[in-house]
Amino acid sequence: MLDDLRVVRDAAGQMEADLELLEAVAAGGPPVLRLYRFDPPALTLGRFQPDDDVDREACARLGVDVARRPTGGRALLHGPDLTYAVAIPEPGGAAGSVDAVYRLLAGGLIAGLATLGVDAAVACGDGAPGPVCMVTQQGADLRVGDRKVCGSAQVRRRGVVLQHGSILLGRLPFDETDLVHGPVERQTLRARTVTLAELGAPTDPAVVGEAVVQGFASALGISPDPVGHR
Amino acid sequence: MNLPDQLRYSSEHEWVAVDGAVARIGITDFAQDALGDVVYVNVPEVGARVEAAGSCAEVESTKSVSDIYAPVSGSVVAVNAALAATPELVNSDPYGEGWIFEVAMDDPAQLEALMDAAAYRSLVES
Repeated sequence: MLDDLRVVRDAAGQMEADLELLEAVAAGGPPVLRLYRFDPPALTLGRFQPDDDVDREACARLGVDVARRPTGGRALLHGPDLTYAVAIPEPGGAAGSVDAVYRLLAGGLIAGLATLGVDAAVACGDGAPGPVCMVTQQGADLRVGDRKVCGSAQVRRRGVVLQHGSILLGRLPFDETDLVHGPVERQTLRARTVTLAELGAPTDPAVVGEAVVQGFASALGISPDPVGHR
Repeated sequence: MNLPDQLRYSSEHEWVAVDGAVARIGITDFAQDALGDVVYVNVPEVGARVEAAGSCAEVESTKSVSDIYAPVSGSVVAVNAALAATPELVNSDPYGEGWIFEVAMDDPAQLEALMDAAAYRSLVES
């Protein structure tokens, strides 16, 4: 699975690979986890986010790929992050609610980050979302203190929940405020987020990835995707 | 949980209100509560064909995009335009102003495969 950190796909290809996890579980496969990175950096947009939110010229100038996620939420810059994707059968009854599944899967992420000395917790809603994912917190996300360290989103299809999200490892010289139209200040984005580097935690993607794998295995019994070796 | 007796229900948590050969469709009170605050509804196009159990619309809540399935087959004859500006109607009035689309049914006998309120209550409380 960690080989997947070296697999080269464009941003749209990464989204397709995530949907392949959903299809594999819908076909009767076990719950599965995938970890990956984006190279070059990529801005992913939520399923229904307006195209007008993106400054395409800035993205081109800064060498940032643009892709649309199958999941909800708002624009997120990948590159200085580690991205996870996990697919599970949709639980029945109240356990299948959107918030309940976010809390369930947060257990894997929190357990993994704890092994790196990062004390993360499930976030609470702190206002209406603007065009940039990382500026606001919802129950989908993880925080350290009151700063967001991981933003996540879901798509539910064919009885399966696919959830993916971005764990902030560090920062690039530019961020979403350079790539998205709208009244979002860099200072605000920085103040509302925190990276593993800023927390003094390991930032090697392989090390963080292994911690996340162990977290999902210990908390939820979910194993990495063997398909990721392709 | 509000489950009106006069409606039929699908296992995918849609409700159906029948008026002659037209079925009005939305999502149940259980479903809207499980989704949380709805921020966007992607409705089908008027004139589109939908097939029973097929995906035909999407709803976004708390960064989660969920498929909505057609309980019956037919052609879409109306959609709830109010949801474009006020998607939260799905939460506040799921069986009324929060309806999503209407289908001219191919075969009203398909309604027999749907659940009554008691059966649906058993499904979601099990």
